[in-house]
Amino acid sequence: MGFRRSLAVITARSVNFISRMMGKQGVTMAGKYALKVYPNLLKDLSSQVREKIIVTCGTNGKTTTNNMMAAFIKSEGKKVIINSTGSNMLAGVVSAFVLSASLGGKIDCDYACIEVDEASARRVFPHFKPDYMVLTNLFRDQLDRYGEIDITMNLLSEALDMAPDCKLIINADDVLAASFAKKSGHEFVGFGIDKPCSQFRSSENEIREGRFCLFCGSELKYDFYHFSQLGSYACPNCGFKHPLLKYNATDVSLSKGLKFAVEEKSDSGDTKKRALSSNYRGFYNIYNILASYACGRELKFDLNKIDKILNNFKPENGRMESFKVRDCNILLNLAKNPAGFNQNISSVMEDESEKDLIVVINDNAQDGHDISWLWDVDFERFADANVRNIVVSGLRAYDMQLRFKYSEIESEAVMGVEDAINHMLKKGSKNLYILVNYTALFSTRGLLKGMEKR
Amino acid sequence: MEKHVKIGHLYPDLLNLYGDRGNIRCLSKRLTWRNIGAEVKEVHIDENVNFSEYDIVLLGGGSDREQKLVCDRLAAQKKEFKAFVEDGGVLIAICGGYQLLGAYYQIGKDKIQGLELVDMYTKQGEGRLIGNITIQSDIVKMPLTGFENHGGRTYLGDVEPLGKVIHGFGNNDSKEAEGVIYKNVVGTYLHGPLLPKNPGLSDYLLSKALERKYGDANLTPLDDKEELMANEYAQKLS
Repeated sequence: MGFRRSLAVITARSVNFISRMMGKQGVTMAGKYALKVYPNLLKDLSSQVREKIIVTCGTNGKTTTNNMMAAFIKSEGKKVIINSTGSNMLAGVVSAFVLSASLGGKIDCDYACIEVDEASARRVFPHFKPDYMVLTNLFRDQLDRYGEIDITMNLLSEALDMAPDCKLIINADDVLAASFAKKSGHEFVGFGIDKPCSQFRSSENEIREGRFCLFCGSELKYDFYHFSQLGSYACPNCGFKHPLLKYNATDVSLSKGLKFAVEEKSDSGDTKKRALSSNYRGFYNIYNILASYACGRELKFDLNKIDKILNNFKPENGRMESFKVRDCNILLNLAKNPAGFNQNISSVMEDESEKDLIVVINDNAQDGHDISWLWDVDFERFADANVRNIVVSGLRAYDMQLRFKYSEIESEAVMGVEDAINHMLKKGSKNLYILVNYTALFSTRGLLKGMEKR
Repeated sequence: MEKHVKIGHLYPDLLNLYGDRGNIRCLSKRLTWRNIGAEVKEVHIDENVNFSEYDIVLLGGGSDREQKLVCDRLAAQKKEFKAFVEDGGVLIAICGGYQLLGAYYQIGKDKIQGLELVDMYTKQGEGRLIGNITIQSDIVKMPLTGFENHGGRTYLGDVEPLGKVIHGFGNNDSKEAEGVIYKNVVGTYLHGPLLPKNPGLSDYLLSKALERKYGDANLTPLDDKEELMANEYAQKLS
């Protein structure tokens, strides 16, 4: 088997090299071909992980959480394998392992932090059984690809059944994640924010999933919502309710980066409190930090160095990534489904100064061909956000313009993203936000990187 | 007297899959832009529907599980619903809501009893019919465009389809007919959402509601530039 394993490594490296030469992202192709050469490759490589394998699933926040978690574990002096670019289907997971293997097919790592697409987990778990699964949240996303959330949850539980010893670390404020954990019968711990945050404004008109108890069908009662369906809930009929938070964020402050304290309950029942500060923005990032923190603590790390990581964090991958083109400050952010988009709007609104906005919407296969979700986003809030100019772009620019029209907000359609940015550089307020969905992210980021250098 | 239209959105907590709120928003904006009063009421699952209140009723799409909850709920009000339809009340039913209009929806061995408002039935088929769709209807000049995503196949009895399929699937695998039109009921698999990109259909439905209530509609034309561009672009996709 040693020979085929080596051949698989060579194949992966070659495919990766060639596709990079051709200017393409070779990551998924490399994994795909390597697995063809040696079908047992992922099983073989993952079994060499010395300590634990952690997978991160959930609709939003996977990449941010997974990368942060890996940084936390590395700060403890450990070696970590990670699929950092967000290639999260089987081939992408294979690539992460095979591209860090030696020619002899050996990997040298203590932990693996792997984000896995919810629908792909059942294809990944036959190759390895994770020790932990972090579940960030479950929102509606690309209904034409994934189907309704009911279907996504079924696929995910099919995967989890293959890993009976996997412990769950869940966002307990999400009723769907909590129901999923309870139904699974697996051991789980929850993180969340147990009180409403007065500084944070979310939309009143959000779609909230799982309004009815998944155990008995009764309507759930909520004390409050943070956003979407995240909040504090209880079923008046069967007694199912918001589980006890082992990791609870309190004293939340959103001005100048995120600050909060984590209250951690130990097994003996006492509570330790620890203040965290970060230069992350966006209320939703509290959940991503909490998830990573919880995971680090479950792995029994002290996490003494995480303040530095959180404060020196420089956003990349187009998640709240900032650029400076001439004298214009630009913030690029991915927004690919209603829950994510509504959170982005909240983040834009935290900046009260005058600003411009470009929204880029594509409908390629990875975005989902069905763009009806645009009407589930509360774009009306931009009317009240000190936005001077709005330009819509991307393949479905006209749909986006129509969406704004029915919010009684004026926008202009400029088909090319580069033209749209140039347009704003000329006539804008020098404070530009660009919100893009998935396939527009890579190209827009490339454009901005190039424009920065000029 | 100022004209006024009241729209009932049935069970948006359960039936809200494909941007259905866009349809509501579209109807009410196209009324207010013409200085006609628009009122929307979201009907909750634990409320009875008082059909006599409404000029337009919208029934959207939901998952199979949610559809079944709705059907159980509406079964008690079948008679009143039927009376509303027979009296010319405007009913817009989309995707899952459309499937509920007929005699039944058969999913494997399960038979969800329908509302029996329209002579049709639905059966789950092999695989889902997913994609952009364009149809030509007799009631509007401009082709109707949208997105379809359904596992059920609908078969019409003695009623007319909403339109002929130009591209896409439509009611079932035969790719011929799409949707249904019966009195002032329009049922269809088109979402996207349906109405914003198909302003002709929106105005047709508003006219029917106004005619029923006031005897005439006299809708003033609106500038539909953006609607038409989005519609034309969507036609090219399918």
